Amino acid sequence: MRIPQTLSRPLARRVAALDDLRPPVRGEPNIPANVIEAAVAALARGETHYTDRPGIPEFRAWVADHLVQRYAVVVDPSEVTITCGSTEARFVTMTLLAEAGSAVLCPGDSSPIRGALHLVGADVVDTIRDDVSLLYLSPDVYRETSIELLQRAEERDWWIVYDLSFAKSAPPFHPAQNDKLASRVVTIDSLSANLPGWRLGWMAGSAAALRLRAGKQAITICTTAVSQWAGLEFLRSRAS
Amino acid sequence: MTLANPNIPESVRAVAADGTQLRYALMEMAGQMEDIITLGRGDPDLPTPPHIVDAANRALREGRTGLTPVAGLPQLRAAIAEHMGKYNGLSVGAENVMVTTGGQEGLFLAIQALIDPGDEILVPDPRYTSYDDAIRRAGGAMVMVPTNREDAFNLEAEAVEAAITPASKALLIVTPSNPTAGIVTEDRLRAIADVCIRHNLIVIVDEIYGRIVYEPWRHFSIGSLPGMAKRTITLDAFSKAYAMTGWRCGYAAAPENVIDAMSRIKQVTTGPVATVSQWAGLAAIEGPQDCVSDYLQIYSERRAVLLDGLDRMGFAYGEPRGGLFVWADSSSTGIHAAELSYLLLKEGRVLVFPGTAFGENWREYVRITLLEPIETLKEAVERMLPVLARYRA
Repeated sequence: MRIPQTLSRPLARRVAALDDLRPPVRGEPNIPANVIEAAVAALARGETHYTDRPGIPEFRAWVADHLVQRYAVVVDPSEVTITCGSTEARFVTMTLLAEAGSAVLCPGDSSPIRGALHLVGADVVDTIRDDVSLLYLSPDVYRETSIELLQRAEERDWWIVYDLSFAKSAPPFHPAQNDKLASRVVTIDSLSANLPGWRLGWMAGSAAALRLRAGKQAITICTTAVSQWAGLEFLRSRAS
Repeated sequence: MTLANPNIPESVRAVAADGTQLRYALMEMAGQMEDIITLGRGDPDLPTPPHIVDAANRALREGRTGLTPVAGLPQLRAAIAEHMGKYNGLSVGAENVMVTTGGQEGLFLAIQALIDPGDEILVPDPRYTSYDDAIRRAGGAMVMVPTNREDAFNLEAEAVEAAITPASKALLIVTPSNPTAGIVTEDRLRAIADVCIRHNLIVIVDEIYGRIVYEPWRHFSIGSLPGMAKRTITLDAFSKAYAMTGWRCGYAAAPENVIDAMSRIKQVTTGPVATVSQWAGLAAIEGPQDCVSDYLQIYSERRAVLLDGLDRMGFAYGEPRGGLFVWADSSSTGIHAAELSYLLLKEGRVLVFPGTAFGENWREYVRITLLEPIETLKEAVERMLPVLARYRA
């Protein structure tokens, strides 16, 4: 006899409004041979244990260097945390930076953050309200639109989460280029388009970086070691 | 007993009240020092067995790296269900199983799926404080259930029942225990199951060390008892038994509606587990199991060496019956555990975790891992002895 279908007590109320399960996206991009070989080599070296909680130092250094080179945004590698896909980066930033009862302003597609905000008890809105505490931006939102929002963010001390993970070609614009905003800007990016099954993303920067790192650690401790080495090889070879 | 030593750095003092952060502060300090013996983190020093790594390599070379369903590879879920029937006595199908990003995420998802703000969850004391954050984020409140050294940190049904209030919703059990290395024995689990059924409590049980139990003791799964299947969430992972911490692959077994809820939460939390890790996990449970018993033998021999060292150090302990730690009573030193850990690190170059990293009241305990070779464990004891002689009250 198997376990009965249902638990004998009710589920948490927050579960009811979550989306149904989506089937996985079919089709896998071709993984370059050098990436596979990097993964095989990592396993041969015995890279099968916990990594540093925020990620392997080489990967964090690459992210910090990339932000300087691409956006002229200075982030220390110690403020970078490698995550299990951009999903975990979004979940951690939304659930730790958006307070219950507050609102997150999202002028573009809010579907990537709705679930996390539902769990934390925050609203997502597309117009400015008094209870907004966080601005979620992606490069898809036109710069002209963002300028006004960023002025408001500066006036009202909003957190800003700049999510590059869905951008096909990110413009050089970045909200952390404004020195007055930089300490409240978290950058999210990932390799989800290139290495989706490897579950690699990252979150970088802001005065909340250590808190976000601890938040990630509380869920998954660290990100899969072999994925990190494979992802690093992908990024380095793409750059060259 | 207080944190008296003024030389303890602010990085440690500032997080002394937060068990998880205290552990990480000490690890970071150790990471900046030379020639340290680390008996802190629960990361097996032994390698992932070769047949598991080989299976991962085959998956990589054959291109089996694409995204899986969020609840995991169907064949892995089915294999886990069969495995849990064989080793845990659970009657589960693939629909009752999901794959998680390590055991810790399983606990996070279970708490999010079950605990509403104001719900109380009963937690044996001392506890693995990394779980605090999951409970806090769900708005739950922890209610401590005492355990003690004289009872080898076994859990008593009477103590569980005494802690129940109208707000109690769930009981969290970690057996074998992190940090105490105690196990909850079958007779006790039967009595605890009766209490849970009478009070309609959910049981969340973390059995990640369930394959690491020392003779003559036996691991037992509360979810296998009559009437418990519909109220038990059993969590496990490949991390400890197969030395696979870096793969981040665990699993949960529960009633189907709980698995559905946990999967929907996982969809917005981390998404599916890395695919290569799932193939490795499949090889772990479908492949030869000699590696598990071989590793257990190694840990058992190390345990004997460490216990001998603790006798020399004048530390008492409850019999460590399972897991990868010894939970040692350091009260004979007269030094607060956080300070003692600091002194052992600074002057003895040995990292152990203070009891306060596992509960505010455990100022007279330290947790020491078995995760170094025997010669290194002997060296660690030799390093700690003069520090203790210097500071013992």
